[in-house]
Amino acid sequence: MRYIFNFPDIGEGLEEGTILEWYVKKGQQVKTGDNLVQMETDKVVADIPSPRDGTIVALFGEVGEIAIVGEPLVEIEIEGVHGEEAQEEAKKEFAPQPDESEDLDDEEAAGVVGTMETAGKSAVLAASDEGSDKEDVKEDKPMRKALATPVARAMAKDMDIDINEVKGTGPSGRVTKADVENFKPAKKGTSKKQDIVKGDDVTYEPLTQIRKAISKNMINSKHSAAHMTVFEEVEISELINVRARYKDAFSKKDAKLTYLPFIVKAAVHALKHYRQVNSQMDLENDRMIFNNRYNIGIAVDTAEGLVVPVIKDADQLSIMEIAKQISELADKANARKLSMDDMKGGTFTITNYGSIGGLFATPVINYPQAGILGVGRIIKKPVVKNDEVVPGSVLSLSLSVDHRIVDGGEASRFINKVMEYLADPIALLME
Amino acid sequence: MVEVLEYNLPDVQLMHQETNNFLLWIPDKTYIVLGASNKPDNSIVESLVVRDNISVLKRRTGGQTVMLTPKNLIISAIITDENVVKPKDVFNKFNDLIIKAIEQDHFVTFSTKGISDIAIGEMKIMGSSMYRNREKLFYHAVLNFDESPETFQKYLTHPSKEPDYRIGRSHAEFVTSLKETGYVPDIHHLKEKITESLNSFLPNYKPIYQVV
Repeated sequence: MRYIFNFPDIGEGLEEGTILEWYVKKGQQVKTGDNLVQMETDKVVADIPSPRDGTIVALFGEVGEIAIVGEPLVEIEIEGVHGEEAQEEAKKEFAPQPDESEDLDDEEAAGVVGTMETAGKSAVLAASDEGSDKEDVKEDKPMRKALATPVARAMAKDMDIDINEVKGTGPSGRVTKADVENFKPAKKGTSKKQDIVKGDDVTYEPLTQIRKAISKNMINSKHSAAHMTVFEEVEISELINVRARYKDAFSKKDAKLTYLPFIVKAAVHALKHYRQVNSQMDLENDRMIFNNRYNIGIAVDTAEGLVVPVIKDADQLSIMEIAKQISELADKANARKLSMDDMKGGTFTITNYGSIGGLFATPVINYPQAGILGVGRIIKKPVVKNDEVVPGSVLSLSLSVDHRIVDGGEASRFINKVMEYLADPIALLME
Repeated sequence: MVEVLEYNLPDVQLMHQETNNFLLWIPDKTYIVLGASNKPDNSIVESLVVRDNISVLKRRTGGQTVMLTPKNLIISAIITDENVVKPKDVFNKFNDLIIKAIEQDHFVTFSTKGISDIAIGEMKIMGSSMYRNREKLFYHAVLNFDESPETFQKYLTHPSKEPDYRIGRSHAEFVTSLKETGYVPDIHHLKEKITESLNSFLPNYKPIYQVV
């Protein structure tokens, strides 16, 4: 019987660990309790013992690679267990036992402390009638015996290829010699060095670090903050005029004057009026943390994914300085040259999806910040001025706040203040 | 080029203990200790470490590179019970006992942050790590009594992994010391208090005692 030993949670509740050292090699006999591998998680280095007597058939991953909790770590051939006996063994092992607690799991895991998760039910498969040939064992899939020509079968055996993994192109899906010759084995395990794997219907690509970070941050925000979003529109003809008036002058000083520096400035002025929006909640210590600095994160869409560099102390910067910093940070983001220092310390975030398209959104708060301002596209539409319908340039805004921190009234007052400044940009200079 | 030495600091003797035991000690000089998978080239500022003749050692436990100085208190323990609990439970238990000891003489509130840090608010004051096999579990922690965070900033690079609450902060922005937060007694008093607190662990485990 082949036994797939999955990487267990070694008690920190983490999802992955690094392989530091293999104590065994393929073909080696092991006894229950013999150390198989040394793994490192964030804080713990642990020797992982074998849960079974047997012979090592495969090691999933190399030193330095990352293994995922619950994914295959070692494959062990357990001698003398075949056919129905193996299936019974598999069932027996994972059948719930009355009053069985975590302690018993520990015992099953050969006395290693912590919750040593043993293989999943589907990971233990009985050998076929042909005995324990590797080709008769599949992990996490129902076992099947591939249809194959004798030549293909012999060639696969010589090349140490599991013929059941080869897609057959012959009659009734029969694996041919050509199929074996063209077969490219997918890597087992889930190390970070996985390649792109193209299947018939889908293509598997490993997660990039940036995508993992985005995923973690987004989920953390959605789980931790009480999101609430308000939407507004503001007529910004005055702002358009001001920008048009100074655009060339900025250009001569190597600064690109977009609307974003004004929006940053307007947000900072509004944050000074409504400090809840520039704060964070420290539940563990039963207190609020009000930021005295105005560090504005700017969400930047790059080919690799979303990054949020920070304009530090934006309250102390002029429009031109903010414009220059935005350009510099965007260039660095696109060149993947942002440092940790560029990214840290944000107290409020602005996401300007309008530069790509779109009017409104429900932006996800850059947790633990309390708010994020989404900026949409500027569109021409009729507005009422002095009781007359006239063409106007309207900017749409979406403000998401952490409703634990910011009440609805506070959010509305904040966005109203931002709108005041954007409708009358000279007011930005008056405070 | 930095020479990395085998870990040989006082608590290494605990690894050979057959029964539960612990040791509180104050480093005799400044050391840098690499985590099990850390390498000097991406963990420390090699030029300054060489210039200032700081010993660099490599330990068996997990976690990131740390500095030990005579202004730190190191808490090390070995647990050999067969029924020892999960690492996270051990971290939490030690943190509870250490916090209890400090809070006897301090007014601030401490909490466990990340996996096993002790923090005051968002500032870290103690980090810990662990090695275990099926016979024993070795724990050690570095409590920053009075070392300036600038010292860590000077010699250590930003770690490759960090707890969520660090949010990219530098060592200087992330770490604080007990003294900096207003703790009045000296380090020897603190050592006594933590020793008492760890001894209260006795009813739950086999005898734990101080070996030096």
